[in-house]
Amino acid sequence: MEVIRNRPIILTIICIIGIMWSLGSFVFVFSPTIKKISDWAPAIYGTMVALQFISFIGIWHMKRWGVMICISAFFAKIIFSLVVQDIAYVEIGLSIIFTVFFLIFYRRMDEEL
Amino acid sequence: MLFLTLFKESFLFAVQALVTNKLRSFLSLLGITIGIFAIISVFTMTDSLEKKLRDSVKSMGDDVIYVQKWPWTFGPDYPWWKYMNRPVSSISELNEIQKQSQKSEAACFSISTPFTVKYKSSSVENANIICASHDYYTVKTFEVGEGRYFSEMESATGRPIAIIGNTIAEGLFPQEDPIGKIITVKGSKIIVIGVFKREGESMLGNSMDAAVVIPINFARNLVDLRSDRIDPTIRVKARPGISNEELKDELTGIMRGIRKLKPIEEDNFALNQTSMLSTQFDGLFSIVGIAGWIIGGFSILVGGFGIANIMFVSVKERTNLIGIQKSLGAKNYFILLQFLAEAVMLSVIGGTFGLLLIYGGTFIVEAAMDMNINLTKSNIILGLTISALIGVVSGFVPAYNASQLDPVEAIRTN
Repeated sequence: MEVIRNRPIILTIICIIGIMWSLGSFVFVFSPTIKKISDWAPAIYGTMVALQFISFIGIWHMKRWGVMICISAFFAKIIFSLVVQDIAYVEIGLSIIFTVFFLIFYRRMDEEL
Repeated sequence: MLFLTLFKESFLFAVQALVTNKLRSFLSLLGITIGIFAIISVFTMTDSLEKKLRDSVKSMGDDVIYVQKWPWTFGPDYPWWKYMNRPVSSISELNEIQKQSQKSEAACFSISTPFTVKYKSSSVENANIICASHDYYTVKTFEVGEGRYFSEMESATGRPIAIIGNTIAEGLFPQEDPIGKIITVKGSKIIVIGVFKREGESMLGNSMDAAVVIPINFARNLVDLRSDRIDPTIRVKARPGISNEELKDELTGIMRGIRKLKPIEEDNFALNQTSMLSTQFDGLFSIVGIAGWIIGGFSILVGGFGIANIMFVSVKERTNLIGIQKSLGAKNYFILLQFLAEAVMLSVIGGTFGLLLIYGGTFIVEAAMDMNINLTKSNIILGLTISALIGVVSGFVPAYNASQLDPVEAIRTN
């Protein structure tokens, strides 16, 4: 028997914002500010953005792994911003709000891939 | 171990899919090739230009203060008329600075002016004649390849001797050893005692290759040392451990004293330093970098959409194959990895082509512009990682959709 998991409207909105945000952030991988930090900084930042994008796709499909990846990418981004001393408070604030919503609906999500 | 075997198998499936549809694969990776080419070529050019400029600025000495009439940089509301009546720097001021300064290691006076240099029937037009006091060699960075620098006695007595740049030497003495030969500058005969080591072209025009350095005491016969047109300059080098700001403070006091300026009067001299030029270049290069970043960033994003599109087509085409694989026990992640590997491979191959195009292009540009252009390690890393990540981002949704297909429904699909 197939379990149908309807996605709450708030998660749909968050996912759309998140996917657009991730795609927009991808352009920043080439930003001279990030390039100046180190040779590998754009690659690390790009990986975090890619993970964030993947996590929103997972959440769109109501998968728990999406939430886990999203939280991991969020912490990785915080660590990265602390290391480069360029803390984006708006981004952190938004991520916290998103995470709270993801955790509210976490139990309704699927454990499988 | 099992995961690695599955990963290898997914990879082989992906290779097979790419080889089967060669033209389609080529067209879809073209987007990434163009994107990577656009962005990395801009970065390569700006990095090379920046390096060249910084090297030129460095050769002027980053611990040297230039006492001149005109400042090197001006604000938007630059009162140029104020500077017109300023006196130019003079040798007597150099002597005072040498006497009074505690924070300087060395100081020299120099002027530069273009003249034609002749040897027998050969001549070099617009050679940069630098007339300098003895400590020029301490303040300016250069190497004498053949021969020697002036002795203190030769500088003091103004002996007609010169050290010539490599380009001048090649122009005037193609088959001969220049040392000991007599060249003519503005009718005066000068003995060549040294040749500078080749430096290559400088973006600021301060390369010693086209320069002829003569003692300032000899140059008095050739030029008017107080002429505004030749920009008389006193170069002061800071002692080790002394910052440029400290030296500038000291020089401001000394120069104000020499020129007898009252406390309410403004300085009538400019203390320039190479960091002023570096700051200007930083602004310029950040604008070029941002332009390249925006153009390249969006073109690579468009390339990513191309990959995503082709991956959706690929999934649609192979739906029944996915069904068969799943019905034979293939896990969801195996299907996901298979398509993801295909997208990443497409992207990385596209990126590699883009990098190879740039690598080839550097040789063409080097030959055309006589400029050293390097595809740096950091730009290669950037190009490859970004193409791989674009592959992941653009291939994930189609790959995930493929992994979620119902085997029965998938097999039924035509």
